[in-house]
Amino acid sequence: MRCGDFRQTYADDMSLFESPLPRVLLAGFLVFLLVLPQFATTYWLDVLNRICIAIVGAVGLNVVTGYTGLISLGTAAFLAVGGFATAAMAGKAGLPFVIVIPLSGLLTAMVGLVFGIPSLRLKGLYLAVATLAAHYIVEFTVTHWDSMTGGVNGISIPPAHFAGLQLSDDRKMFYLIFPVTVGLLFFTKNLFRTKVGKAFVAIRDQDISAEVMGVNVFRYKLLSFAVSSFIVGVAGSLLAYQARIISPENFPITLAIDYLGMVIIGGLGSILGSIFGAIFITLLPEMLRLATDSMSNYWPGLMVIVAPIKMGVFGLVVILFLIFEPDGMAARWNHIKAYWKLYPFSY
Amino acid sequence: MNVRKNLAAILAAAAAAVLPAQATAQQEIKVGGIFDLTGVTSDVGKPFAQGVQDCVAVTNDAGGINGKKIKLLGADYAYKIDQARALYKKLVNDDKVVMIQGWGTGDTEALKDFVGQDKIPYFSGSFAAPLSDPSKFPYNFFVAPTYSEQLRSWLDWVKQDYAKSGGKGKPKVAFMFGDNAYGKAPIAAGKKYGAEIGVDVVDEAVLPPNFQDATSQLLTMKQKGVEYAYINVTTTGVSLVLRDAKKLGLTVKFGSNPYGFSESLVAVAGPLAEGVTGVVPHVPFGTPVPGMAVLEAAHQKYHPTDKHDAMYVRGWATCLVWVEGLRGAEKAGQLNGPGVKAAIEKLADFSTGGLAQSVTYTPTDHRPTMTTSIYQIQGGKLVKIGDYIMPRTKEWFGL
Repeated sequence: MRCGDFRQTYADDMSLFESPLPRVLLAGFLVFLLVLPQFATTYWLDVLNRICIAIVGAVGLNVVTGYTGLISLGTAAFLAVGGFATAAMAGKAGLPFVIVIPLSGLLTAMVGLVFGIPSLRLKGLYLAVATLAAHYIVEFTVTHWDSMTGGVNGISIPPAHFAGLQLSDDRKMFYLIFPVTVGLLFFTKNLFRTKVGKAFVAIRDQDISAEVMGVNVFRYKLLSFAVSSFIVGVAGSLLAYQARIISPENFPITLAIDYLGMVIIGGLGSILGSIFGAIFITLLPEMLRLATDSMSNYWPGLMVIVAPIKMGVFGLVVILFLIFEPDGMAARWNHIKAYWKLYPFSY
Repeated sequence: MNVRKNLAAILAAAAAAVLPAQATAQQEIKVGGIFDLTGVTSDVGKPFAQGVQDCVAVTNDAGGINGKKIKLLGADYAYKIDQARALYKKLVNDDKVVMIQGWGTGDTEALKDFVGQDKIPYFSGSFAAPLSDPSKFPYNFFVAPTYSEQLRSWLDWVKQDYAKSGGKGKPKVAFMFGDNAYGKAPIAAGKKYGAEIGVDVVDEAVLPPNFQDATSQLLTMKQKGVEYAYINVTTTGVSLVLRDAKKLGLTVKFGSNPYGFSESLVAVAGPLAEGVTGVVPHVPFGTPVPGMAVLEAAHQKYHPTDKHDAMYVRGWATCLVWVEGLRGAEKAGQLNGPGVKAAIEKLADFSTGGLAQSVTYTPTDHRPTMTTSIYQIQGGKLVKIGDYIMPRTKEWFGL
């Protein structure tokens, strides 16, 4: 039994896995997830894909909001940039997804850089409002740039393809979305073991101290926006490939709020938190709908009455989380883990 | 031993419970429902869904489709497109529905390619003209004149009214609409038709989503001397425009599309709604037409305390049309997507008992009707002032 802290070198301190067991468990879990689609129906595959996309988007937002401390309401806008970039490159130019997805991310990163500039002067709520402006500018652009985005009617995206391979259904899409998600998760997890990531965290904790320590605050704030937008742009690209038709109505401001909800409920400044939050916020409406569906089976008239309750339950759950677990689901997870690690000798 | 006996008994009971369920399942016709009960269009989406639901209940009570009950698998998507898509996949792939009753522009546009591929007839509450062209969208249906025909008809009324009230020259008209697919749907057609019949479209005012104030748009209209304005948003938005117009002392004569004009407009806007005209493809609740008796009976039976409006009738009338389609498909022994589509395309001058204009569908033309009824609010009541019949021309097809 482990009864002490065995970290003796800096490398130990920085390691992702404390012991071989979690490594094996994680590998096993990934294999399980890879096999899962063989048994899932289309609906659950769709949910699974949307969870993965939400995880990517939430991780992206967490980079800038959770790790760097810059509140962003621009997530829906960056998703839209990634999505419409994909529509243009895959639809109009017919490029394969291996080129389209990274390019969409890069393009979104550039847009994110531009909208990150106000972060030099603005903090907190003021920055949130500046990113809100970004949302409306992007929304206006995609609504009115008819030749590129199809305007209000939206635009169709062909199935993702590469070297004769057509990812035409949800099962095949999963094998694109899932590896991208896992890859980006490892990238971000490792990002915060590097100088860049640690600079982000320093800025979040106290930007003046960070500057004194020699962190170029403006440069790293912009970099944080760029990295975050890149990841969110990739999420937008995957979303476009999965949805096959996107219009400006896919990216309302409430979507940005949903993503903020994910990182807050999951845990600010935590990769695991982004995963939990994304799963939770995506699954909650589905679960509530399945529950109301099965209830309305017994009394059909119930549907009209029960549906609004769903909204109430959603709000209630969010409030309960904020009251009882303000540090997010990731913190609760760590509590549970610590408890079982020492069980039954908790002291 | 005893335990084993009990277990066997339980298993037998469970099997007995499951088997008849399967037997009845074969007697069911599954129809999907994608409704907005909590989202941004729930003010009109909820009564629509209730109308569909009640129509299905009444049809089932009367014996269903040749003894087969309709099972409406309806759910709320809160006007969120990703949820509509997920729901659609569940309905088509897991539940294996034969057709779907959908709702607004958001879900209909996002699913229009898929319903064609999956061969699932999709009835929408969106009346956008492109959906009526089967060469592009073979599986999309709706039960009303297209948004474009509606606006053309209203412009005809404007011309008549202007002449009647002794106006000289061309009437000056403004269009007010949201910057989205639903808002913009008829605008291009309206501008073109206005130019043809001699109505001057002098202003296009864009209303932001969930706007609370239309003062600046109305001031521009005042400057341009607008005399008539068509408000292409839902009820809440129309009443806000009316409120601000009153505040600014505008004398513009307002008109509205079928999602902004119903009994609820009178309830929300009160005296401000007086004199407003609107397109009413589905009659107000309680209108003395032959088909209304069933609705009133259902109202008494299921929810006597609820209030109903034309949106409820709209849901009901739409449902009546596809129930007829299911009947035809059942008779032909083709209870599947293509079968239902074929049956609906055989409907000629099918009457919904006066709830809506009689509808006709053919394999090459899904424009249900060319007749648009215009109503006016007079003394707090919706009063019909005329039917406007547009020619079924090729040039206007899908526009």
